Amino acid sequence: MLLEQTGFTDVVMSNEVDVFSGSKHESDAKEFDTRGVTVFARRPA
Amino acid sequence: MTTEIGVSHIDRAELRRFISEKYSEVATNPELGFHFHTGRPLALMLGYPAALIDKVPAGNLASFAGTGNPFLFGDLRQGEHVVDVGCGTGLDTLIAAQQVGPSGKVVAVDMTAEMRQKTQEGVDEMRLSNVEVREGFAETLPVDDGSADVVISNGVVNLCPDKRAVFREMLRVLKPGGRIQIGDILVHKEVPQDSKNDIALWSG
Repeated sequence: MLLEQTGFTDVVMSNEVDVFSGSKHESDAKEFDTRGVTVFARRPA
Repeated sequence: MTTEIGVSHIDRAELRRFISEKYSEVATNPELGFHFHTGRPLALMLGYPAALIDKVPAGNLASFAGTGNPFLFGDLRQGEHVVDVGCGTGLDTLIAAQQVGPSGKVVAVDMTAEMRQKTQEGVDEMRLSNVEVREGFAETLPVDDGSADVVISNGVVNLCPDKRAVFREMLRVLKPGGRIQIGDILVHKEVPQDSKNDIALWSG
């Protein structure tokens, strides 16, 4: 994963959210299975 | 973020200009309606408590266009130094500034003048003395090395072609042991090259 390759550790992801559902962008978002997510990671001490 | 789009042949200056124009409209005319959700309904969808967002001026909340919730992983602590990368109209900046309190500090960075102006208006309206709004890009943050306890961001990394450069920059400004709490998007299917080169798809 790119974050770990960059040097971050302890990477945690939240549940995904279908943030484009019902929006005008919904069809493009569905085509690429695009979801919103929140990510936590840490710089090593 | 799972799909690296660094191979895009897109003109990066043109992309920045396009995104800046699009988000200027979000900042100044949120009622126009966009290809993505905005405002209070979006914030509630992303799990922001109503009591938290309703403390923020209506103008800042109305133009919110994030894709996650940096506070899902816990509130920030009193006294912490925070960098908000691509602060937009300031919802997360204004929440963070309340959480870190007067002994903390938030540096809010955005490339778009209208976004910075709206964030500053929210700071002034809430009479916050611990926020500094700065012009800058996610790939070259105007922030000192090792100065931040937390980097937050929301719906910004996906707009940057060189994601590796953005994450390197976040790592640079963090103190050892510091953390990122960022909302963004995951693309589970491979994006074809012609779509990667389509500027309109980058910002919806």
